[in-house]
Amino acid sequence: MTSRPNIYWLASYPKSGNTWTRAFIANLTHETAEAVDINALHTGAIASGREWVEAALDFDIDELSHDEIDALRPTAYRWLSERLDAPGHHKIHDAYTFLPNGMPLIPVEATKGALCIVRNPLDVAISFANHNSSSIDQSIGHMADSTYSFCAKSGRLFNQLRQQLLSWSEHVTSWVDAPDINKHLVRYEDMQQSPMETFTQIATFLELPNDKQAISTALAHCKMENLQAQEALSPFREKAANTDTFFRKGIVGDWQQTLTAAQINQVIDDHREVMARFGYLNEHGQPSTLISLKTPTA
Amino acid sequence: MHLYTAFGLNFHSELELTPLKTAEATNPDVRIVLGPVSHTGLDQPHVTKPFCQTAPNQLWLDVPDIARFQVSDGNMIIVDPKPDADPQSVQLFLLGSCTGAIMYQRNRLVIHGNAIRFGHGCVIVAGASGAGKSTLAAAFVKRGYQVLADDLSVIDDHVRVQPSYPQLKIWRDTAKKLDIDTSPLKRIRMQVDKFAFPLHEQFYSEPLPIKAVYILNPHNQPDLRVEEITGMNKFQPLKNQSYRGGYLEGLGLNAQHLTLCASLANQSRVARIIRPNNGFKINELVELIEDDMTPPLTAAKHD
Repeated sequence: MTSRPNIYWLASYPKSGNTWTRAFIANLTHETAEAVDINALHTGAIASGREWVEAALDFDIDELSHDEIDALRPTAYRWLSERLDAPGHHKIHDAYTFLPNGMPLIPVEATKGALCIVRNPLDVAISFANHNSSSIDQSIGHMADSTYSFCAKSGRLFNQLRQQLLSWSEHVTSWVDAPDINKHLVRYEDMQQSPMETFTQIATFLELPNDKQAISTALAHCKMENLQAQEALSPFREKAANTDTFFRKGIVGDWQQTLTAAQINQVIDDHREVMARFGYLNEHGQPSTLISLKTPTA
Repeated sequence: MHLYTAFGLNFHSELELTPLKTAEATNPDVRIVLGPVSHTGLDQPHVTKPFCQTAPNQLWLDVPDIARFQVSDGNMIIVDPKPDADPQSVQLFLLGSCTGAIMYQRNRLVIHGNAIRFGHGCVIVAGASGAGKSTLAAAFVKRGYQVLADDLSVIDDHVRVQPSYPQLKIWRDTAKKLDIDTSPLKRIRMQVDKFAFPLHEQFYSEPLPIKAVYILNPHNQPDLRVEEITGMNKFQPLKNQSYRGGYLEGLGLNAQHLTLCASLANQSRVARIIRPNNGFKINELVELIEDDMTPPLTAAKHD
């Protein structure tokens, strides 16, 4: 099989700005003047989408175990990548993991690059609790759990394949430190606080139009208040069923109003090293209230 | 040699296919034989994917760790099991992908869905994997309905569903939801939490005309409703519900398949069932279909 790396992965832990990034890409590549419908963000299938993977395999995977399916995924992605005429942009929440045979789940030969989007875990904990209809303490627990996965039940089938997220720290470092793939790291906080600069870098990395006009128009179309306004008019298909809205607050530093001291300490205890690495703790080991705009080194 | 009848055809098989109904000695329509299958695929494939190749009247399938299969001319399946493959796993792919390919080669339409008997006809419940088809079929069985087919509904040239075999495949979660005791049931494969549920007298073994095709569409809103699809709009959704539609192009059957979809669209109602993707009661869904299938009473005239 020839190698044709054509997939840009939009890789993030859930609730870290992935959908916002997809809305930006959709608007950037959209040819008309209006904002793209939030229910038409056709940037590419999610990596764990059953239909996308099954189209490559062409046999039923309903009766295979999660591990058996994972063993097939690299072959599927290689074939899907070869078939793309232009680079594709595919969201992924799976951590960058390796199969028992030592090969990565996400094959190097299919990967043109990975945009790694990282957000302060203190803010992720709040949004993730809302998404899962769980308490914040539960979401803090999930984020510390090395075995945490989406769609991992053995007693039923979902339209998404199992996604092994690992802990928040493990997820972030699995992608940022993934060997042999081309990567670009962005922080959610930089996307919020210096959007022109950060999104221009994103567009450049993803080989998308990166002139000032195009970036600023796309950013205007996917401002949080615009996404919220669209969702108020017509429900967002990707929203979890038990939650009211998907586009909730999206603000940086919500944890300062929402988390208790005990919760803040728990998140720091669980993720100290990785938080410090990405600028979420200051030199005294305290959570940064004003996140420096200096992009940390990967 | 094992003799079976399923999908309106007689099978002579060198492999035991436990869920199928056995048949008297007859001429076979389809032979299933053990033998070598190429490691590399077909001589002149029209469509090549990593594990599957197709050409007119030919399909080659390589399921890792389970078996290689060659399906030819609508009447022959050669099976080449992998060294450590268990018979249940081989059987599942024979009764799934290989049967689908055989039926396409015989110019039959195959819809990815269950067929439930309603009086002198049946309804097909289709939808993407994970949409809730098998749960719904099991719920109908719990209410005393008869089933013609689980997972693959094979439609003959009189636009009838040909009965498949007397078994549902149900997930552990489905069994739990419907109070079905799984302790006497066999797992369909040791690797997954899914069970073979024998239908016995709740299998209907005669072909029945199709009254309606329902397509399950889960969404993240609370409402549950039926949306009728009419006229030309019926055609594309039916095409999308075809079982392993990816096989058709390489088999050279795209044009014939469109004709078959059109004849089903002409003959049957087609509707979407929009349902919440969680927090809904399976009984409500069964009752929604029962109500939808009940002809409206003619209003009495009051002069």
